[in-house]
Amino acid sequence: MKSHRAHVMLCAGTGCVSNGSFEVKAALEKELAERDLQDEIAVVMTGCNGFCAQGPVMVVQPGEVFYQLLGTKDIPHLVEEHFLKGRPVERLMYRPPVDKIPVPRMSDIGFFKKQRLIALRNRGLIDPEKIDEYIARGGYQGLSKALTEMTPESIVEEVTKSGLRGRGGAGFPTGRKWASAAKHASDEKYIICNADEGDPGAFMDRSIIEGDPHAVIEGMTIAGRAVGAHAGWVYIRTEYPIAMERLNLAISQARDYGLLGADILGSGFDFDIHVFRGAGAFVCGESSALRASIQGDPPEPSAKHIHATERGLFQKPTVLNNVETLANVPEIILRGGEWFAGIGTEGSKGTKVFALVGNVNNTGLVEVPMGTTLREIIFDIGGGMEKGKEFKAVQTGGPSGGCIPASLLDLPVDFDRLTEVGSMMGSGGMIVMDEDTCMVDVARYFLDFLRDESCGKCTACREGVDAMYQIVSRICNGHGCEGDIELLEDLGETIKDTALCGLGTSAPNPVLSTIAYFRQEYETHISERRCPAGVCKALITYSIDAEKCNGCTLCAKNCPENAISGDKKEVHTIDQSKCIKCGICRDVCRREAVLVQ
Amino acid sequence: MPKLRKEDLEQIAQRMKKAMSLREGAGRAKITVHMGTCGISAGARKIVSAVMHCLEESGAQDVIVTTSGCAGLCSREPMMTVELSGQAPVKYVDLDEAKVKRVFDEHVIGGVIVAEFALARGSEQTL
Amino acid sequence: MRSETDHHEKVGSVLVVGGGVGGMQAALDLAESGFKVYLLEKEPSIGGTMAKLDKTFPTNDCAMCTLAPRLVDTGKHLNIERLTYSELLELSGTPGRFKVLVKKKARSVDPDKCTGCSECMEACLVRNRPYSPGVEPELQDVEGQELLVLREILGRYPRGREAIVPILQDITAEFNWLPEWSLRMVAHTLGLPLSRVVRVATFYNLFSLEPRGKHIIRVCTGTACHVKGAGKIVDSLERELKVKSGETTDDRRFTLEAVRCLGCCGLAPVVTIDEEVYGKITSARLVKELDAYPA
Repeated sequence: MKSHRAHVMLCAGTGCVSNGSFEVKAALEKELAERDLQDEIAVVMTGCNGFCAQGPVMVVQPGEVFYQLLGTKDIPHLVEEHFLKGRPVERLMYRPPVDKIPVPRMSDIGFFKKQRLIALRNRGLIDPEKIDEYIARGGYQGLSKALTEMTPESIVEEVTKSGLRGRGGAGFPTGRKWASAAKHASDEKYIICNADEGDPGAFMDRSIIEGDPHAVIEGMTIAGRAVGAHAGWVYIRTEYPIAMERLNLAISQARDYGLLGADILGSGFDFDIHVFRGAGAFVCGESSALRASIQGDPPEPSAKHIHATERGLFQKPTVLNNVETLANVPEIILRGGEWFAGIGTEGSKGTKVFALVGNVNNTGLVEVPMGTTLREIIFDIGGGMEKGKEFKAVQTGGPSGGCIPASLLDLPVDFDRLTEVGSMMGSGGMIVMDEDTCMVDVARYFLDFLRDESCGKCTACREGVDAMYQIVSRICNGHGCEGDIELLEDLGETIKDTALCGLGTSAPNPVLSTIAYFRQEYETHISERRCPAGVCKALITYSIDAEKCNGCTLCAKNCPENAISGDKKEVHTIDQSKCIKCGICRDVCRREAVLVQ
Repeated sequence: MPKLRKEDLEQIAQRMKKAMSLREGAGRAKITVHMGTCGISAGARKIVSAVMHCLEESGAQDVIVTTSGCAGLCSREPMMTVELSGQAPVKYVDLDEAKVKRVFDEHVIGGVIVAEFALARGSEQTL
Repeated sequence: MRSETDHHEKVGSVLVVGGGVGGMQAALDLAESGFKVYLLEKEPSIGGTMAKLDKTFPTNDCAMCTLAPRLVDTGKHLNIERLTYSELLELSGTPGRFKVLVKKKARSVDPDKCTGCSECMEACLVRNRPYSPGVEPELQDVEGQELLVLREILGRYPRGREAIVPILQDITAEFNWLPEWSLRMVAHTLGLPLSRVVRVATFYNLFSLEPRGKHIIRVCTGTACHVKGAGKIVDSLERELKVKSGETTDDRRFTLEAVRCLGCCGLAPVVTIDEEVYGKITSARLVKELDAYPA
C-alpha cells in the first residue's frame, strides 16, 4: 500500500453530497494531480461528519484541520497553501457565531468538543466503502471475541450488564430482549435491524449506515450468535439511496472476507443478512407492521399478545433492534458491559445520538453521554439560537414526543427524564424552535402527519387523531371555541388508553405537551383570535414598516398576486384584499421592513 | 477470496495501521519540510519525495510528514525539522536526497541526531 | 310485526337480520315485549365485530363487558330462535305478512356436542388452501414491450407474497407508476387476490396508481423543514404549477409531492427535483429553478 503524508477526509454524507462534495472531490483530485501531489495526499470519502450545517466539510489529517462550506473555486488556493506550503487556510475554517475567530482544529470546535462517540466512533475516520479501514479501527474484533471466546449466554449477559436500551424510541433493555429470544427454542430465528427511520427530524440511522455500515453488520452478527439466529434483515427506508448502496457494498465485502456466510472466522457459526427496501410508510417503523411488510402483508400493527421474541417474523422468534443499538454492540463486547455502564445516568447507560436541527446555529448529528442537559446540547454544542432569536421550545421524540419549554432547559436528557416531562426519547430527533414558531401550528403539523400516516386499523387512532386535527385546525383558522382545549385533553387521554400500537398511543403527545406548557398560546388563538408568533395565516396580516422600507421594489416584483404597490424609492403598501399571506415579501425583503401581526 | 480467520483480522489491522495512525494524529516522529517560495525554488519538493521514499522503504508506521511555510532562513534552504515525541525539534539545513536518507535512518529511526547537518536544536514552538 | 287485524294482541313473529351487538339488543327488546324473534346471522356464531374488540371508542368501555350479558341472554331466551350460519335469500309480502326464505348452511358438526375446542380445525388438511385466480388476465391495450418488461421483473423473484413489495418497487422504477394491468399480472403470478395487491399498493407512499409527471418535485415536510417554512414552499409551488400536492400537471411535466423527512434536516428546508437536491431553498429561488426541467 502506498503511504501518503496526509489524508483529506471529505464528507460524503447525504447533506454534504447535496451541497456538492463530489464536485469538490473532483476539483481536489485534479488540483493535486496538477501539482504532482497525488501520491503524497490521499483523498478519502467518509460517511457523515455530523456538522451538516456547514457542508461540504473536510478534515485534513494529521493535524485535524477542519474546513467548511467548500466550493470548487476554493480548491486551488487550498491545495497550494495547505498541502504545498503547509499553511492552513483561515478563510475556510469554522468561526463560532460569537467571537468570529477561526478555529483550526476540529476538536476545539464547540460542536465537536463536548461529544463522546461510541455509536459514531468511526465517523469521519474511515472510508465506509473499505472494509479494511473498519478492521484497522478495531472492527470485527468484537465479533471475533464473541465467536471464539464467549458463549451465547455470556454475550447476552455482557449486553445485559451494559444496561443498553433500545435506541429506536421505547428504550426496552436490549439484554432482556435477547435473553427472551435465546430462551425460545426454534429451528430458525431472525435478527431484524430497523432502519426505517420515519421520525421527521431524525437522521442518525442514515448517518450510521452511510458512514459505518460494518458496525451494523457486526452488531447484527453478534446478536445472531447470542440468540442462535442465522439470518438477519435490514429494513431500510427507500428515501435513503446512498445508505442502501453502501450497506449492500459492505455486506458483499463482509461475505468476501467470510465475515458473513458459513463458518464465520472458522468458528462454525453461520449468519447472513438480507436487505429489504421500504416503500414509504411511517407505520412500518413499528415492529409488528415492519414484520408484516417483510412478509408481504399489509403493514398494519397487530396486538402484541405474544412477544416477537417468541413468534415474530414468519412466526419464528425474532429480535428487532434499531441501527444505533446494534452499532453500540461491538464496542460493548470488545470493552465489556461495565465500561459502557460507567457512562450515562442510572436508568440510561451509554451515549445517545441526537439530530440537532431547527432554529439553531450548528445543526447536525451530536453524540453525547446520557444525562447531558438540553442547555449543553443546544447552547454549547449547537452554538445557540439562529439569528440571536429567543429560545422557545425543543421538540424531541418525533411525532410521538412532545415540546419542552425554556423552563426545563437544565433537564438532563435520558429515557426516564424525557418521559417524565411528557415527551420521549424517540429515535433522537431534537428540533429547536424559536420565538417565531407557533406551538398550535406545531401541534397541527404533527396531527396532520399522524392522521396521514395512521394505518387505519384501530378506531382510536384513525378517528381520534383526525378529530383532534379538526379541532386544532379550527383553532388555527380562528374558529376555536371555549372548551376546545379541554376537549383535546379528554380526547388525547382516551386515545392514549385505547390505541392498538405504540404509534397510536403516543400520537396525542405533541398536543398534550404543547397544551401543558403553552396553554396561553392556545387561549390567545381562541379568545383573542390572534397568533402571537405570526404563523397561522387566518390570524395574521402582513404590512410594511414605512420607516424601514426604502422602496427597492423587490417585494412588489416577487408578490405572486401583485398585491404590493408603490413607486421606486417610495414606501410600498400591501393591498390586504389581494394578499394571500404567502410570506414571500417577508422572505425577500433585505431590510426586514415587512411586518407580521 | 479465502475466508478470514481470527489472526487475519490482526494482520489487516497491522497493514492499515500507518494510514490510521496518520488520521488519529498519533506519531512517534514528525518531519516538517519547509516549503515557502524560497524552499520550493531551492528544491524542497524533491526533499519531500525523498522523505516519502525513505518512509516507504523503511516501512515505518509512526512517522508523520507535513509541510510548512518559510522557516525564515532562506539562505540555508531546503530545510526540514525533525521532532521525536518528547524531544526538542531539530532543524536540518542545506539538504539533498543523500542527506535526507542519512537523517532519516540515523535520527528518525535510530534516534541519534546527525550533528553535521543540523542547524540548531530547539525551535520556536509551533503547536 | 303486529297483525293488521288485531292491534291489541301481540302475535306473530319478527326476523332480526344480523347477530351483532345491535341485532342482539333489538332481538332481546322484542323478545322481552313478547314477540317471537328469529335472529339471523351469516357467521357460524353471533357476536359480530364487537366480539373482536378490546375497548370501544370514544368512551373507552370494555367491549366484552357490554357484549357478554347480551350474548348470554340471547343464547338462552326462550322467545329467540337463532339461525346462525344462515343467509336471507328472499323477502316478500307486506308489513304483518312477510315471507322469508332462509338458507341454512350445513354446519356438519353436531352443535349439541361441540365444545369449540378448535382441535378439528388444527387437524384439518385442507385449511389455508392457496387462492388461485385461474387463467392469466386478458390484457388489452398493453404494448408487447411493456409486457416483456413486466414478465422480466416478475421473473426476478421467487413466487410468494414476500415478493410483493420488491416487485411493486421495480415496476414503479420502470414505469413511474402502477398501471392496473400490471397489478392484475402481479396478483395472478403471486397467486394472490387482486384486492390484496391493491391494498398493499395503496398503503405505501412510494406507489402511485395514476401516471406521474416526467419530473417529480418532492418537498420535504419533516419537522425541521416545517419549522423553516416548507409549508410556504408547497403553497407557492401549488400556485405556480396549478396543482395540489400529490397531483400531476396537465402536461405531465411535473408531479408535486410533499414527502416525509428526507433526512437532510441540516439543510432545511429541502426540496428535491428528480435526483437534484436543493437545500436552504426559498420559494422565490425554487420557482426560478423549475425552468431547468423541460417538458
